[in-house]
Amino acid sequence: MDYERILRDVAKLMVRLKKPSRLLKMTTRFIDKNFQLNHTSIVIWDEARSRYAFADSKGRQKIPSGFVKFDREHPLISWFSKTRRFVKMPKDYLLRSDLETQIEKGLKTNSDSMRALQIVLKAMQVLKAHAVIPAYYKSDLLGMLILGAKKDGYGFEAREISFFQTLVQDCSMALKNAEYHQSLIDRNSQLESQLREIESLRTREQKRYYEIIRSLAQQVYAKDPYTFGHIGQVERLGVITGRELGLDMAGRYKDILSAGLLLHDVGKIGIPDHILNKPARLDPDEWNIMKTHVDKGAQILEPLTDFKEVREIVYSHHERWDGTGYPRGLKGESIPVGARIVCVVDAFHAIVSTRCYSKGRPIETAFEELRRCAGSQFDPTVVEAFITALTKEMKRRGTGFFYDGEIKHTA
Amino acid sequence: MVKKLLVVDDEEEICDFLKSFFEDRQFEVETAHSGIQAIEKARKFGPHVILLDIQMPEMDGLKALKILKEENPKVKVIMVTAVETQEKIEESMRLGADNYITKPLSLEYLENDVQEKLKGLV
Repeated sequence: MDYERILRDVAKLMVRLKKPSRLLKMTTRFIDKNFQLNHTSIVIWDEARSRYAFADSKGRQKIPSGFVKFDREHPLISWFSKTRRFVKMPKDYLLRSDLETQIEKGLKTNSDSMRALQIVLKAMQVLKAHAVIPAYYKSDLLGMLILGAKKDGYGFEAREISFFQTLVQDCSMALKNAEYHQSLIDRNSQLESQLREIESLRTREQKRYYEIIRSLAQQVYAKDPYTFGHIGQVERLGVITGRELGLDMAGRYKDILSAGLLLHDVGKIGIPDHILNKPARLDPDEWNIMKTHVDKGAQILEPLTDFKEVREIVYSHHERWDGTGYPRGLKGESIPVGARIVCVVDAFHAIVSTRCYSKGRPIETAFEELRRCAGSQFDPTVVEAFITALTKEMKRRGTGFFYDGEIKHTA
Repeated sequence: MVKKLLVVDDEEEICDFLKSFFEDRQFEVETAHSGIQAIEKARKFGPHVILLDIQMPEMDGLKALKILKEENPKVKVIMVTAVETQEKIEESMRLGADNYITKPLSLEYLENDVQEKLKGLV
């Protein structure tokens, strides 16, 4: 048998095995196949239960798995972890034939050492073991390779023992590697679950934020009795439009857009009621005051560092696609997409709602109006996305879903 | 006189292992794989000690224990089982079990216990 070649092959295999139980099974199977032994067994330290147990056993005289355990006081365990040192046995493995010779030679000296040898021999007899090879990692006894008698009755040769020793050493290293690998995996999954926890905390926090925003928005709309209660509809319309446009509505942007939709008119808090609720056209001075609601909105959100993008939407929702809007005269795609959505949804909402200065008009009329102003006031892509999304939604859930009560949808 | 042991376990490997283990120690050993078989074998074989598993098909170890002890109050029964609940231990003791050993076990302890139970019988 070419021991060196076998060892090389086995070592290569071991590096690839990540599961300790499979590694041990592979080792017992390998020895059982290549050596004619009555049994091949591996005993391994079980940290969780703090005992040694049979990991695997093969051969005619095998020990059934999960049937036998050793505590730390078991003669074989204590032999390798302590007794061996004071008995002064030079070899770090046990051969039954060695023990028998020693005992025979020293029969007359009835010392402690002799008793120790007899106890360990008895333990080997119980397990039908003829050779026991310890597996250490640093100074810890990881386990043992226990070999039954050779079927042909001969003893173990020195080169066979040294082969088993190398195999056991490789095995210990591979086990420790696998353990390390497992500990990395465990640590990783621990981190992942912590991350999930943080994520869920964040979600909860955002939900709370959101409730505050909603209530704030309700307050703004409360000043305008005709639209009170419809802020939720504005939000829903904007979100379905965003989804139709292909924006990522599962992630953070949904929150940004929602907040923008809810808060777009938050600056109206600072507009005097007589202007806000005037039942006639505003004069140029009043109109200039009205226009400042976008600046006021941006000012309100200024201290909230997490709301930069929301603030941009609020500040820009009166910009026009052709660049003639206010306050900055932004044009085309330089207007944040959220603001372009708010602009369309807000206009639609104004058309179909009954307000102090106008009666609500049918949805079809609103669609026509939006299309007429697409390219000048509105982003044409957003207009089409909005119409598509709302049409789909109405087909799915009925026309009354968005506009019930005082708003008429069709003529 | 010859020491007679009946090993009852539904796992054949365990039966074979214990049979060979105790035969090496000059026991006469019979095996059974269920509660019903255990009762039949006990009648014919007349063991001094019975090693009895609990979880088995047909009839479990506790039912078998009750009948074995009724038929022969002198037989020593050692429960050998992977089940380790207070409830099962107490029930075994109530039904007259002489010891309760859980798997995995120490072979040295098992051997000593069997020898102990034989004192005064053989």
